[in-house]
Amino acid sequence: MSDFQRFLAKRIGIAIGLTLIAVTIIFVVLRMLPGSPFESLITAGNLTQGQVDEIMALYGLDKPIWQQYLIYLRNILTFQFGYSILQSQPVWDILAPKLANTLILLVPALVTTAVVSTLLGMYVGWNRGSKAETASIIGTTFLRSTPVFITAIFFVIIFSYTLDLVPAFGMRSITATPDGLLDTYMSMDFLHHYILPFTVTVLFYSGDFLLLARNGVVEKKGSEFLKLHRAKGLSENEQLMRAGRNSMLPVITYFALRLGMIFQGLILLEVVFAWPGIGRALVLAIQQQDYPLVQASVFIMALAVIIMNLVADVLYAYFDPTVSVSGGGA
Amino acid sequence: MSTETITWRDRAATVGEKVQNQLAFVLSDRMALVGVLVMVSFVFLGVFGPMLAPHDPIEDDIRDDEGDLLRLEGPSSVAPLGTTVYGKDILSQFLAGARPTLIVGLFGGLGTGVLGFLVGLVSGYYGGWVDEVLMRLTDLTFSLPFMPMALLLLTFVTPSIWLITVIIAGFLWKMPARVVRAEVLTLRERTFVKSARASGAGHLRTMFFHVAPNVLPIGFLYTAYGVAWAIAAAASLAFLGFGDPTTTSWGRMLRMVFDSGNIRVAWWWVFPPAIGIAAVTTSVFLIGRAYEEIINPEIQTEQ
Repeated sequence: MSDFQRFLAKRIGIAIGLTLIAVTIIFVVLRMLPGSPFESLITAGNLTQGQVDEIMALYGLDKPIWQQYLIYLRNILTFQFGYSILQSQPVWDILAPKLANTLILLVPALVTTAVVSTLLGMYVGWNRGSKAETASIIGTTFLRSTPVFITAIFFVIIFSYTLDLVPAFGMRSITATPDGLLDTYMSMDFLHHYILPFTVTVLFYSGDFLLLARNGVVEKKGSEFLKLHRAKGLSENEQLMRAGRNSMLPVITYFALRLGMIFQGLILLEVVFAWPGIGRALVLAIQQQDYPLVQASVFIMALAVIIMNLVADVLYAYFDPTVSVSGGGA
Repeated sequence: MSTETITWRDRAATVGEKVQNQLAFVLSDRMALVGVLVMVSFVFLGVFGPMLAPHDPIEDDIRDDEGDLLRLEGPSSVAPLGTTVYGKDILSQFLAGARPTLIVGLFGGLGTGVLGFLVGLVSGYYGGWVDEVLMRLTDLTFSLPFMPMALLLLTFVTPSIWLITVIIAGFLWKMPARVVRAEVLTLRERTFVKSARASGAGHLRTMFFHVAPNVLPIGFLYTAYGVAWAIAAAASLAFLGFGDPTTTSWGRMLRMVFDSGNIRVAWWWVFPPAIGIAAVTTSVFLIGRAYEEIINPEIQTEQ
């Protein structure tokens, strides 16, 4: 086994371990803390003891806790999330379309912001001390440090309520009844609702990429290899492209990390824009104490983070020759 | 070479001088200066705000001369920043709301900074299995998504401002921990650390007196960032309805206006808390960025 394979095996092992621990924590939080969702059902008093037992048996709550845990593990790790308590539908049938709605908003936004802000960051890093640099730093610092729901509210007030350009919330008009995928995601009506949340997402994440790329270029600017390129007679732009290429690594790994946190980061955006995504579904499910739904959505979010962390680590080790793959150790 | 000849006072004096120099440098950055001014006014509001409030933010109703309740009225002489849909004075809510925001920010930030600094220091200094255990622990907090987990915890226990602070620090310490560890790893092999050990300083002494002062700037930086993160996180939780129900925080004000569906009309209700939070979090990062330019020698190239 090469060093890299050994490193890969270790990271995958760690990811599996983390998944098990995360899943266990979700179980403990949901079962051990006082106030199970069924309690309210039982204390409401409309059920006979027989009916209560029947419901408990249906959800496996009559078994000892360790058995419940094993059943839970088997189910959740095979993506069998059970039935929603309130909506009497399989959890997966409820969550899958929400997950799609979230991804359709976030993946294009993240790709856009990664490309645009990285290029912009390289440009302002190269022109250090310029007005453009100062302006872009103030702008992106404001955008990335302000909680995203506040930016979203500002945008809704300006573009929906004041200028009346775009709808303030939802994913489509109430009257629209799209039919089929193409119609759902490719119509003008959808696009009209899409543009505002998309813009806010792009702006919110722009700061991190811009600063990473800027710092990367600033650090590289005085380095030897650039002096060589200058001596070779390359133009400013050609030099910038080479400095930029050498500072891509943090940007790439950062992109992977962000992709993992994507769901959780935008719970707030989905709430402000009433975007029917998985984050908003989670908030609603928590409010309604629909815990199979809560459990499944938290699990999906945790899994996304774990997998993308793994990808980021591996990318970093693969692309950066200065990272020792045998681990940091003594 | 004995380390004992350096007295406490000398140590304090050099640190003090360093801090003074860095402070002067930060203040010479115009963006950071604005940030400092905003933070000073924020702290002032946090301490004295509730006393300055002309009305009780929750108890008092605002009425006009005829004694009618002023619901959702724009700014007027009776209520300079208008009233909420329940007829409460927004200026008073804004002034009183600064304090819980400050408390969460200050203690959440301190908790994040101190915990993360210690974990990073110990992990990087000792290495080996200590490092392995602590780093897997940080991996774990990285893989537990903050928002969903915090929401989950707060549904089962009544949110209080202190509980929220603890949860936030419990999730955020991983950020400084990783950075401080990376820094300590490079310091550990430096000559002055080795000579301290060779001259008989114990592990604890070497760690706290020789290694720690060199990573302190990063610790400060991340404590400051921790303040902004904590304020943003607490406001976000409050906005989703998971804030302390007994206090008026800026986040909770935004929750109220959003929930009552009045964002469209009541700009005077939205802007004070929204601008307050945005100004504070942005200021922290502007100051932090200026400070980062000083302590990170790699981005300090001639301009």
